[in-house]
Amino acid sequence: MKVKDIINNVFGYTPKNTYHFSLPDDSDNPESTTIQNSKDDQKNSPNIFENIDTNLDYIKTKYNLLINSDIVTRNFILNARGKQYKALLLYIDGMIDSQALNDFVLEPLMMRNKNNLFDSEQNRVISEAVTNNITVRKVKKFNLDEYIQNCLIPQNNVKKETSFKDIFSGVNSGNCALFVDTLPVCFNIDIKGFKQRSISQPENEVVIKGSHEAFVENIRTNTSLLRRLTNNENLIIENVKVGKITQTNCTVCYMQDITNSDLIAEVKYRLNNLEVDSLLSAGELEQLLTDNNILGVPKILVSERPDNAVKNLLQGRVIVLVNGSPYALIMPAVLIDFLSSPEDTNLKTIFANFLKRIRALAAFFTLLLPGLYVAITSFHREIIPTELLYTILGSRQSVPFPTIFEIIIMEISFEIIREAGLRVPSPIGPTLGIVGALVLGQAAVSAGIVSPILIIIVAITGISSFAIPDFTFSFHLRFFRFAFILSGFIAGFIGIGIGIFVYLSTLCDIESFGIPYTTPYAPAINSKNNGFLLPPIWRREYRANYLASKREKKQDKISMKWKF
Amino acid sequence: MNSILKKIFIIIIILVFLVAFNTSYSALNLDNLAFVIALGIDVSDTKEIKVTFQFVKAPSTTEGSNQESQIIEDSVDANSIANAINIMNTYFAKRLDLSHCRIIVFSEEIAAHGISNYIYTLMNDVQVRPSANIIVSKCNAEYYIKSCDPSLENSISRYYDLFPDSSKYTGYLTNATIGNFFNSLICNYCEPYTILGGVTSSNSGSSQTANVDDSDVQSGSSPISGTKGVENIGMAVFKHDKLVGELNAIETVCFNILKKDVDSFIISIPDPNNENSNIDVFVTPLSKSKIDVKIVNGSPYIKIDYYFGAKVYSVTENSSYLDENSLSAISNSCNKYLESVLSEYLYKTSQEFKSDVTGLGKYVISDFATNQDFENYNWTDNYINSTFDVTIDTNIDSGVLLTKT
Amino acid sequence: MSTSKLGTFEAILLVLSILAPFTVISLSRTMINETKSSVLINIIYITIICLVIAFLIYKLFKKFPGLDILDISQYVGGNVFKNIIGFIFIFYFIITSSIFLRSFCEGLKVVYFPYTDIVYVILLFIIAIAVTNTLGFNSTIRTTSIIFPFLIVSIILLFVGNLNNFSFYRIFPIQGDGFENTFLLGLTNIGCFAGITYLYFLPPLLKEPKKFKYVSILSVLLSGLFIIMCVATLLFMFSIYISTDEIMPLFSVSRYIEFGSFFQRFESLFLLIWTISFCCYLSISCKFSTQILKKIFNLKDSSQLIYILLILTFAIALLPKNYSIINYFETNIYRYLSLALIFLGIFVLVLSNLKKKAGG
Repeated sequence: MKVKDIINNVFGYTPKNTYHFSLPDDSDNPESTTIQNSKDDQKNSPNIFENIDTNLDYIKTKYNLLINSDIVTRNFILNARGKQYKALLLYIDGMIDSQALNDFVLEPLMMRNKNNLFDSEQNRVISEAVTNNITVRKVKKFNLDEYIQNCLIPQNNVKKETSFKDIFSGVNSGNCALFVDTLPVCFNIDIKGFKQRSISQPENEVVIKGSHEAFVENIRTNTSLLRRLTNNENLIIENVKVGKITQTNCTVCYMQDITNSDLIAEVKYRLNNLEVDSLLSAGELEQLLTDNNILGVPKILVSERPDNAVKNLLQGRVIVLVNGSPYALIMPAVLIDFLSSPEDTNLKTIFANFLKRIRALAAFFTLLLPGLYVAITSFHREIIPTELLYTILGSRQSVPFPTIFEIIIMEISFEIIREAGLRVPSPIGPTLGIVGALVLGQAAVSAGIVSPILIIIVAITGISSFAIPDFTFSFHLRFFRFAFILSGFIAGFIGIGIGIFVYLSTLCDIESFGIPYTTPYAPAINSKNNGFLLPPIWRREYRANYLASKREKKQDKISMKWKF
Repeated sequence: MNSILKKIFIIIIILVFLVAFNTSYSALNLDNLAFVIALGIDVSDTKEIKVTFQFVKAPSTTEGSNQESQIIEDSVDANSIANAINIMNTYFAKRLDLSHCRIIVFSEEIAAHGISNYIYTLMNDVQVRPSANIIVSKCNAEYYIKSCDPSLENSISRYYDLFPDSSKYTGYLTNATIGNFFNSLICNYCEPYTILGGVTSSNSGSSQTANVDDSDVQSGSSPISGTKGVENIGMAVFKHDKLVGELNAIETVCFNILKKDVDSFIISIPDPNNENSNIDVFVTPLSKSKIDVKIVNGSPYIKIDYYFGAKVYSVTENSSYLDENSLSAISNSCNKYLESVLSEYLYKTSQEFKSDVTGLGKYVISDFATNQDFENYNWTDNYINSTFDVTIDTNIDSGVLLTKT
Repeated sequence: MSTSKLGTFEAILLVLSILAPFTVISLSRTMINETKSSVLINIIYITIICLVIAFLIYKLFKKFPGLDILDISQYVGGNVFKNIIGFIFIFYFIITSSIFLRSFCEGLKVVYFPYTDIVYVILLFIIAIAVTNTLGFNSTIRTTSIIFPFLIVSIILLFVGNLNNFSFYRIFPIQGDGFENTFLLGLTNIGCFAGITYLYFLPPLLKEPKKFKYVSILSVLLSGLFIIMCVATLLFMFSIYISTDEIMPLFSVSRYIEFGSFFQRFESLFLLIWTISFCCYLSISCKFSTQILKKIFNLKDSSQLIYILLILTFAIALLPKNYSIINYFETNIYRYLSLALIFLGIFVLVLSNLKKKAGG
């Protein structure tokens, strides 16, 4: 490298080519991108058409068959009494029992069986009367739909439906719909076969009042979990293959009538333009989809609970699932999402808000407490009450190290213990935590290496870092507390103040998929009750407007109509 | 290449700051400091002043053992406070730090010469707390500090924190701080004051003065005989920065009443039924009390209307306090007693001390239009000629729990 | 980098942020020294005058929607005039922020870093501003809107925590040093409302330019309230006949706060908040200066300018030889400078309005 190049690099002007995506903030014209709640439901859903091709076209539009990857239509020829009719099966892959579908729906309808060999126009005679050499016969005309329902489908729950609305609700819940050409009715066959409860409890996000199901490795099972909870045909699940060698299946899931189209387009754009050989886990995909890594803050929420994922879907976010990984990536995610737990909406609001405040306090302690301790003992001894001062002095009498050295030793030991606890074989796993904390700490104090006050500070810091719901975020805080320890040591509260200023400025500059990271506090927008603290459930009328979703309202103004 | 350069640059900056701020760190770090708890200033034979420092040696808390904290006092003769601190810094291994200094004691002799220089020097120091108490002691400051030892508390700093609180419920002393003193030095309608401290006479061995009233007590000559060495009863009154007089307990109660600084107090008034005995009354000032100051013919005319609520504390046999007549008799006696005591105190400050330590000047400022007018009037000189008109109205309920015996 | 727009709330906080150094320099003490005990009346009187000035500015800007004072000065006198006005404003911003920085660092050095050279204390701030200024206008605005509420809370706490030590009689004599002193000579205190100089640059940055009226009037009103709070704390606390001046008056006030015997000497916590808001002020000052330079020279990107401006600030901050020069600047020069600049702006606006009326 020549000197000239170095000088050019340092002092010369290089235009920044940052990747920038911004979400339109249509707070003044909400009508342009939103669909009001009431307008949609008044459309009447049409009845089933007699022509099967018309039916197919309608289904294609409604279910977005061209892009939806798990909605399956099976065209075949139905044999009934010797006549052939065109028929169509509509079902959702992963929700139905395939074996039952083959044996009890397709086989009796498609293959030749004794019933169907009868091939004449013979009608069934009901009664016959002879008068004056004229025979009058009452016959029952051949009714195809009766015939199919009564004779052909050996399935325990078959209903005839005439309106598309009922058919779609059936298909959404796991049934199979049979359309036959020339028939204005459709058969709603109950053949549900999605997997239940091989799904286990979530390991990292335990919720007391919610469901105890978690995502599994199979992507179809995961999508079926999402389908079941959403129960709506507007949920789109698109398939994308990532990785040149592994061709890993990833799905992008969103609610078509809620999520902002630009956001969907951006997520798909990023996902489709990855030139990697392999993609093996959701963690790798999270890093591949993040635009920059300033401060190491997470910008995508990772969750293993389907109810959490669906909650976010209904707010207007996009979910990405990766085959082989039991985690859903939820984007976009801002700072307040990383301090919220899925339990919050299950509790009464005062308790939920109390817990949120405790978590915010825990985040503050994790980041700043050791730094503040170093600053106070180094530069600001007058803040300490005199009694406490003598305790600190007394406890530090036998310690040979200066405070900064002590703190760094203890913090690094704590991190080593934490890392070791992950790898210890399970019989002695829990004991190591207790052994490490108590015995080591106690022994260190007795040996005079550290002071007892410092053990308390380090313990509170460590425990606070466990109180943060998101794993990546707590990592980020643990990492940066060392920066604050250093700044507190250099210049006391002034150093910490300047550190907070730089940290806060950097945090405010970060954007997650176009949304500022510190929304809704900076820039100060009216988030309509979607800030950090939860309002009571009857006040959660609006969706978060920083997500620029298409439907603004999610509840009526008076949602508990039974009360009034 | 760019990022490596950036990293090197960051490391260099951090190292530069570490080195630059390191000297301040080692000056202010907790481990290198010796914390002075009390500071005493006396007249010295050899040099200008004799400064006494009191330290607490923190007990080392090891496993199981809990040693008592040791109290250490050291004095040095020097020309100024800064000089004294310098000499002590070389004497001790640690550096002296005044940021936890709770009391500053001056002896009577020093106070009579004028202490404004010391006050300004101390307030100029970053470390000194403006809320530290300032005490004038009747004996040597060194003797006073050496006699301080906590009897009911574990540590002496706790004692120093708590003792001014008794001003709220006895009124026998006042919470005089060095910040207050500094403010009053420059204010031209009030004068500074300090706590009066002394060593108990049973310890010092001097004879007691004959006391008629048990409210007449004062530090250094009080009838307490106890284990603790020092006592703080009464006040020292200054005119500008020189000591001009002392107030005993009941006069301090008057001072606190007029400053609206006392929540309740107990006094002994003459019993209207019995000439030779006293009744103890528990008095609470009410908020509708007023002080009104007017300038009449160039001299201040001060009208004081105070309202108290009271309960009878000492109950004798065969006494009934539900009777309207007896209650009003006790009220009258109380009123007369308080009026006489307050008037005595006020005339003492105006004629004997010639110093408006109560700060009555602030009530008259609103009558003047500009600062120049007030300065021309010269309140401090005109206070000598003031006339006081004290009216007390006490409303005595029954006794505290008993109403009739 | 300058594609971001400010909402109304953020614009108000931006103008208020120039008051952040008010807490740490001795401007409040200067005001009290000048008008003695009638300072509160004086401030209320000045606030009303400044409200009128703010309304006047809004009215004069109405004819030129979306333009700031540089564009207007270009309309009046061409490029030359624009450059002159621009450089005057840059000169003002840089000089005031450097001198305030030096004053603050002197105070810090006395209290916390007695053995450190002042160069390093100033360097600490400069490096922090250099790092954050590369980030963009967005982050500065958002940081200010997060930090400023804490500053206001700290001032309120300062007032409330000291209620025991206040003597409300210090407001008398009500006329202070006389009618003339309070109302005529006291007009120089308009210079404390230096936030109005920021108002001249706000219109193109606002998201809703129609709200400029609210922004200007509300920000002047809130500035007045803030100054009243600071000055009242100082007035009630210490005697006005003070012949001693403290190096950081509000810092001295904060040393008196105590809750019981346990919680005492909280001045370091106040200093923490004041440091952060001071950094916000410096950052905004720098940002505005770079915007002006960008406009004057028609630059596309201003990221390299920051370093030059910061080196200039650093050099000017090191120029004064001792504290008395800085004190002289704060007590005498600063207010007249701000006053001159406010009236210069009004003068330019009036000229432009006349020209527009004449030109049609």
